[in-house]
Amino acid sequence: MNPTAAPHRRGLAQRLSEAQATIDALLSGQIDAVVDSKTATPVLLSKAQDALRQSEEQHRQIVEATTDGIMKVDAFEKIVFVNGRLAEMLGYEPRQMIGMGVSTFMTASARAIMADPFARPAGQDTLDTVLCHKSGTAISVNIAASPLVDGEGRRFGTLGMVRDVTERDKLQSQLMVSDRMASVGTLAAGVAHEINNPLAAVIGNLDYIAEILGSAVRDSSTSASPGKSDAWLLDAIKGPINDAREAAARVRLIVRDLKIFSRSPIDEPKCRVDVQAVMESSLRMAWNEVRHRARLVKLYGVVPKVEANEGRLGQVFLNLIVNAAQALPEGHAEQNEIRVSTRVHDGRVVIEVSDTGAGIPPEIIGRIFDAFFTTKGVGVGTGLGLAICHRIVTDMDGELTVESTLGKGSTFRVALPIARHEAIEVTAPVVEAMAGPGRRGRILVVDDEELVLRSVKRLLTKEHDVVALAKAKQALALCAGGETFDLILCDLMMPDMTGMDLHRELSRVAPEQAKRMVFLTGGAFTANAWTFLSDPAREHLEKPFSPTTLRAVVRRHVQ
Amino acid sequence: MAKARSKRGGLLLRLYVAGNAPNSLRAVANAKAICEEYLTSRYDLEIVDLLKHPNRALKDGIIVTPTLLRLRPLPVQRVIGNLSDTNQVLLTLASK
Repeated sequence: MNPTAAPHRRGLAQRLSEAQATIDALLSGQIDAVVDSKTATPVLLSKAQDALRQSEEQHRQIVEATTDGIMKVDAFEKIVFVNGRLAEMLGYEPRQMIGMGVSTFMTASARAIMADPFARPAGQDTLDTVLCHKSGTAISVNIAASPLVDGEGRRFGTLGMVRDVTERDKLQSQLMVSDRMASVGTLAAGVAHEINNPLAAVIGNLDYIAEILGSAVRDSSTSASPGKSDAWLLDAIKGPINDAREAAARVRLIVRDLKIFSRSPIDEPKCRVDVQAVMESSLRMAWNEVRHRARLVKLYGVVPKVEANEGRLGQVFLNLIVNAAQALPEGHAEQNEIRVSTRVHDGRVVIEVSDTGAGIPPEIIGRIFDAFFTTKGVGVGTGLGLAICHRIVTDMDGELTVESTLGKGSTFRVALPIARHEAIEVTAPVVEAMAGPGRRGRILVVDDEELVLRSVKRLLTKEHDVVALAKAKQALALCAGGETFDLILCDLMMPDMTGMDLHRELSRVAPEQAKRMVFLTGGAFTANAWTFLSDPAREHLEKPFSPTTLRAVVRRHVQ
Repeated sequence: MAKARSKRGGLLLRLYVAGNAPNSLRAVANAKAICEEYLTSRYDLEIVDLLKHPNRALKDGIIVTPTLLRLRPLPVQRVIGNLSDTNQVLLTLASK
C-alpha cells in the first residue's frame, strides 16, 4: 500500500463528511450564504429564502382564505393536506384529517373522481355529489379534481377542490317550489274567478227566491182564506231552498279559501292580517286530514292584527296543521288532540299548533327545518314543507320554532310582529244596517257575465232603476253621452275593456261618474288589479256577495 | 473581524459568516459561548465576514457560511452551520 495514500484517503473521507454536513446544514436552513466558485462571489441565501417564505406565506393565505375546500390525497386515498375551509365543512380540525382515508367522508362516486380525475362524465369539469359531515349529515358539494404529478410525470396523488353547494341547492329547490306554488296560485285564482261568477248568480237568485218565498208565506198567513195547496207548496219549497242556500254558502267558503292561496301578487304585499281568520280558513282546508285523527281544540285569545301576507300565512298554517295531523295515527280521533291557539307574548302575536303525537327525536329536531329533511315515506313528503314555512315566517320578520317531547307530542310556534302602521286592509265593505227604504236611485251595472247581470238587476230593481250592460264600452258611451248614475257597479276583470280601463276613461270624460264606481271582483287579481284596488278611494265588493251587502252598499251611495 | 482572545500555541479558530444574516449572528454567539464555557486551553477565535473578504474565504476553501475552521492543530477541521449543536462542535474541535 502506498504510504502516501493514507492521508489522501483520510482527506477524501473528510471531504465527503464535510459535503454531507453542508447538505444537512442547507436542508435544515442553517446556511446564510453560498460562494459561487465560478465567479468567486458570495450569494446571500436569506434574500432568496425570504422571497420563498413570502411566496409560501402568500400561497398559504390564499389556500386558507378561499371559500372552497382544498385537499391533497396520496395514491392510497389518504389525506396529506386539507385547508381550514374543508375541515370546517366536514366538522373536523385540519390536523385531525391528515392521514385520514377519504372513505370516511366520501361516497363511492366522489372517491372515483378522486381516484381518476379523468373518469368524470363527458362535458363535465366537476362532479356534483355529497360528502358526509362528522355528524352524519350529508353536504351537497361540487368537486373538481386534478392529478398531482412529480417532475418525471409520475402521478403521486390528487388535488381536490370542494365547493359547498348546500345553500345553492336549497335556494334552487325553494325557487322551484315557489314557482310551483305560484302556478298553483294562478290556477286557483282562475278557478275561483270562474266559479265566483256563476256562484254570485246562484246565491243572488236563491236569496231572491227565499225573500219572495218569505213574503209569500207572510201573505198567505195573513190572508183571510189561504189556499191549502199554496201553503203546502210553500212549505215544501222552503226546505230545499234553504239547503241549496247552505250548500252554496259552503261553496263560497271553499272558493274564498282557494283565493287566500292565490291572493299573492308577485311582490307579495303585506297587509294587516287577522290570524284567526287565516287559521280558520286553513283549518277548513285541512279538515279532511284532521277529523279522522284528532279532536280539534281552538284556544283563540284576542290578538291584534299582524303584518303579513295572507296567502303565505295560510300556507304556513295549513302546512303545520297537516303535519300535526300526519303525526297522529288514523282512526283514534278521540284519543288524540290537535290544538291551535293564539296569544300575545313579548309584543308579538304567537300562534301555536300542537299535536299529541309521537314527538320528534332530539337527534333530528335540529334538522327538521332543513330542506329535503323528511321522516315521511317516499312520495308522502318532499321534506320541503317546513323549510318553506320557516322561510316564509322569517321573511315576515317572524320566527318559527318547535318544541317536542318524545311520546307526548310537538308544538310549532309562529311568532309574528304586530302590524305597526296602517297598511292596506282588504276586507269586504262593512254592511250597514239601513232602516226603511231609501231614495230610488239610478244604478248602472256592468258585468260580462249575463247571469251576474240578471241576478244583480233582479235584486235591485224593486228599489232602484237599474241599467245592466255586458260591455264596458257601452257603459262608456252612455256616460260620455251625458247619462248620469248614482252608482256604477262594475266588474273588474272583463275581456276587451276592463273595469280599470273604464275607470280611466270615465275619469277623463265624466270624472263625477268615475267617482261613483264600485268594483265587483271575482278573485282573478293581476298585479295591476291589486295596485288599482289598493287605493283606499276605490271601493270593491267581492263576489259572491249577499243581497243584504249589495243593497246596503247601493243604498249608501244613493243617499 | 474580531479577535476574542489571543494566546500563543493554543487553538486557532476562524469563523466565516455572512454579514448580519440570522444564522451568522447565531453562529458567532454560539462560537463565543462554546469557547468561553468549554475551552480551558489557550485559543484564538477570528471572525471573518465573507461579504467583506470573499478572497480569504476562497483561499480557505469556504463554500457556505457559517463555517467554523479549526486551523490549528492540524489537520484542518470544519463545522458547518450555525453551531447550535454544541456536542458536534466540541467533538470536531477535539478530533485528531
